[in-house]
Amino acid sequence: MTHSPLPFQGQTILVTGASSGIGRAVARLLAHQGARVLLGGRDAERLEMEAKALGPERAVGVPMDLVDLDGACQWVGELVQIHGPLSGIVHSAGIRSGVPIRMLKQAGMTRMMAIHVDVPLGLIKGFRQRRPGGLPGAIVLISSVLGLVGSPSEVAYCAAKAAMGGVVRSAALELAAEGIRVNAVAPGFVESEMLSAFRKTLTEEQFAQIVARHPLGLGRPEDVAQAAAFLLGDTARWITGTTLVVDGGYIAQ
Amino acid sequence: MEKTEFLRNLEDLIEANPGSLTEKSVLADAAGWNSMAVMGFIAFADEDLGIAPAPKAIMACRTVADLMALAGI
Repeated sequence: MTHSPLPFQGQTILVTGASSGIGRAVARLLAHQGARVLLGGRDAERLEMEAKALGPERAVGVPMDLVDLDGACQWVGELVQIHGPLSGIVHSAGIRSGVPIRMLKQAGMTRMMAIHVDVPLGLIKGFRQRRPGGLPGAIVLISSVLGLVGSPSEVAYCAAKAAMGGVVRSAALELAAEGIRVNAVAPGFVESEMLSAFRKTLTEEQFAQIVARHPLGLGRPEDVAQAAAFLLGDTARWITGTTLVVDGGYIAQ
Repeated sequence: MEKTEFLRNLEDLIEANPGSLTEKSVLADAAGWNSMAVMGFIAFADEDLGIAPAPKAIMACRTVADLMALAGI
């Protein structure tokens, strides 16, 4: 294995959720490590700003509004037609809402599962279909520690992220023979736009309890980006079907 | 949203008997008014009313009428 300062040179990598938080940090890191990054997200204006900041040779915005497996699969096909073959995908787009069981409705549950299970499955399917034969590829899904442990009022989010783990393990087994690795990163709470929005739904005491569950304090998006890049690159050539926990000690307790 | 519909939703939320709440009802007297109910109210306000009240403001409400005022009902 060779160690290059630009390990992703010559690779085109799709990063979803790239307009903010972890997705944006992943996109920036990969671009700085040589990749040409397709920035996927719903906010076209912010994607354009980010692409401009990274440089046209390094990044291009690809607005998306994915809600199901078929749409995600088709979208990957369209991207490949326009931008050429992908070497990898980091799927960071997600939603989060604290809804107690007593207020849970089918529509909310369906949407949560669609975003965190159906869409990544569609991306994996599209990647596999459009991947030139024989070339290795890697997919990293951004999950959460809440896919590994429970949390009151977040049963929908926890269930969806736990299901994502099943997607990772099964897809990894099915696609290993085709040279495609599939892994996940499970971050604890990181200081991001999503956390800021979630914090508004909590009391000061509730938020302090969350912070206290991180012996190393809250994380930064860059902490998670490093783990995603590790799993995406040749550094993890013998790793598939796993979930790498990056949580400041959240689930060690 | 009409006041009556708001009351029915609030009864669902705190699992109170239908028709048991009025504008004068004191929240602290309702067995189901707790931290989970506050989170549930935030979800209800977001999804059904399109507003995002702060938990602190919700917890400062003493009566159902206070909650209605906060929700702009």
